[in-house]
Amino acid sequence: MAVIEVSDLTKSYSGQTVLDGVSFSVEEGEIFGILGPNGAGKTTAVECVEGLRRPDGGSIRVLGLEPGKDGKALRQQIGVQLQHTQLPDTIKVWEALDLYASFYDAPRDWRELVRQWGLTDKRDARFGKLSGGQKQRLFIALALIGNPRVAFLDELTTGLDPQARRATWELIKQVRAEGVTVVLVSHFMDEVEELCDRVAVFDRGGIVALDTPAGLIQGVDAEHRMRFTLMTEADPKALLGGLPGVSGVVRDGQRVVVTGKGDFATAVTAQLARHHVLVTELRIDTRTLDDAFVALTGRSFE
Amino acid sequence: MNALAKLTTVELKLLVREPGSMFTVLIPLFILVVFGSSIEPGDTVLLPMSLAIAVGLVGLYMLPTTLATYRERGILRRLSTTPLPPANLLVVQLLMQLVLAALACGLLIAVAGTALGARLPGAGWAVAVTFLLGTGAMFSIGLLIAALAANGRTANGIGVLLYFPMAYLAGLMQPADQMPGFLVAVGEYTPLGAFRQSLHEVWSGGSPSLSLLVVMAAYTVVLSAAAARFFRWE
Repeated sequence: MAVIEVSDLTKSYSGQTVLDGVSFSVEEGEIFGILGPNGAGKTTAVECVEGLRRPDGGSIRVLGLEPGKDGKALRQQIGVQLQHTQLPDTIKVWEALDLYASFYDAPRDWRELVRQWGLTDKRDARFGKLSGGQKQRLFIALALIGNPRVAFLDELTTGLDPQARRATWELIKQVRAEGVTVVLVSHFMDEVEELCDRVAVFDRGGIVALDTPAGLIQGVDAEHRMRFTLMTEADPKALLGGLPGVSGVVRDGQRVVVTGKGDFATAVTAQLARHHVLVTELRIDTRTLDDAFVALTGRSFE
Repeated sequence: MNALAKLTTVELKLLVREPGSMFTVLIPLFILVVFGSSIEPGDTVLLPMSLAIAVGLVGLYMLPTTLATYRERGILRRLSTTPLPPANLLVVQLLMQLVLAALACGLLIAVAGTALGARLPGAGWAVAVTFLLGTGAMFSIGLLIAALAANGRTANGIGVLLYFPMAYLAGLMQPADQMPGFLVAVGEYTPLGAFRQSLHEVWSGGSPSLSLLVVMAAYTVVLSAAAARFFRWE
């Protein structure tokens, strides 16, 4: 069942088109990624879905409700973590959670969230004294305090160190395991690849691709490379140059780099074996979402 | 506990933790006590001055700085994604600042009335109307600053820039009878000056001049309308 259905969303600010016919749907229980560079329209699209902004055109349904019309009912059932939001420096962790819990009809127990998000030691700490990672965990806890069916998390690991990011990812998986649908806005490829069931790739106000991360990577037939070092004498150019998919063979001493598309690596290793050429240090560069993004948008990410 | 009660409790705690609220109580109290030793019994100048300072500080510093900071930090925006409309936070904050102003004034009157033997006014209605309109005028300025300032620091800066000339014209830097006559006359058309002068008149045993009340009412209506017009949630 689709919990979010967006079709043909348009929005412009003072003549500048920010969203140009965006359509997507989010299924119940999935982590849906919205990926794209800054200024691609990701946040605007999500803020329209949350009911924070009014789109110029198109239709939005969230849990069967229209954000523009049934905002009050909708806000009971969604949890939001916004980019660039702070709390007053002097509010304590438990006070913030306790306060936000009081806004909802059936909130979660904030003590349980404090435990789950590793804030037990910081229960009585003031917001201004928290580290970046602790603040971020508090914001996610605040997004979940109303026991939402859909949680929107916008750039949740920006500014976190690698360890804190990994820890946050594990917790987001746990959120999905509890049955909450998650919409994740991100400009980090690794984050989207790790967490998302499906991804919408935004570029210049539109969606250029929508698939699973693996599907996006496979769907883009980008050139990639394999490298190895020869242990027996051979002429790799003559041997491998004509194989299907191979577009280039470069030799530097005993080291060889083969460039190609598709499943050329299998053909290369089979050919080497057939001619009894022994190689070592064989490496195949894996394709990533970065490659997929470059191929989809025709430009590098940042 | 329902959301509004909880919001009020939390905002009250935050107000108590804010060093600025201590200053808005202590600065006028300090002025009252320091100069209080040299006043004659039955003085009707010093207490109205310190009362006007207290309300002026809350209206020009505390209120706009707090509200502009809330907007700057995205707290109003964050609230608008919850079932509690962010307007509730503005109303609760306004009430908190009113309570702060009332506490500061109550303390000043108590200290002046007991320790300093200053005169306390007789006519309750005149006191009430003067405080109502004076506070209304000062808070409207604060709301307009909050509406126009991009962030908390700017709001604070505008508050400082406005406070000193206003306090001077209002006769809060030196007693009005020691100031040039035309400045006093001009001062009575400023919100803080009209407030101090009508407090002085009430404390002198009379009722406040209608013209002063009209000046304060006019500022309240015009400035709060402008604040409502220019206010942005983000």
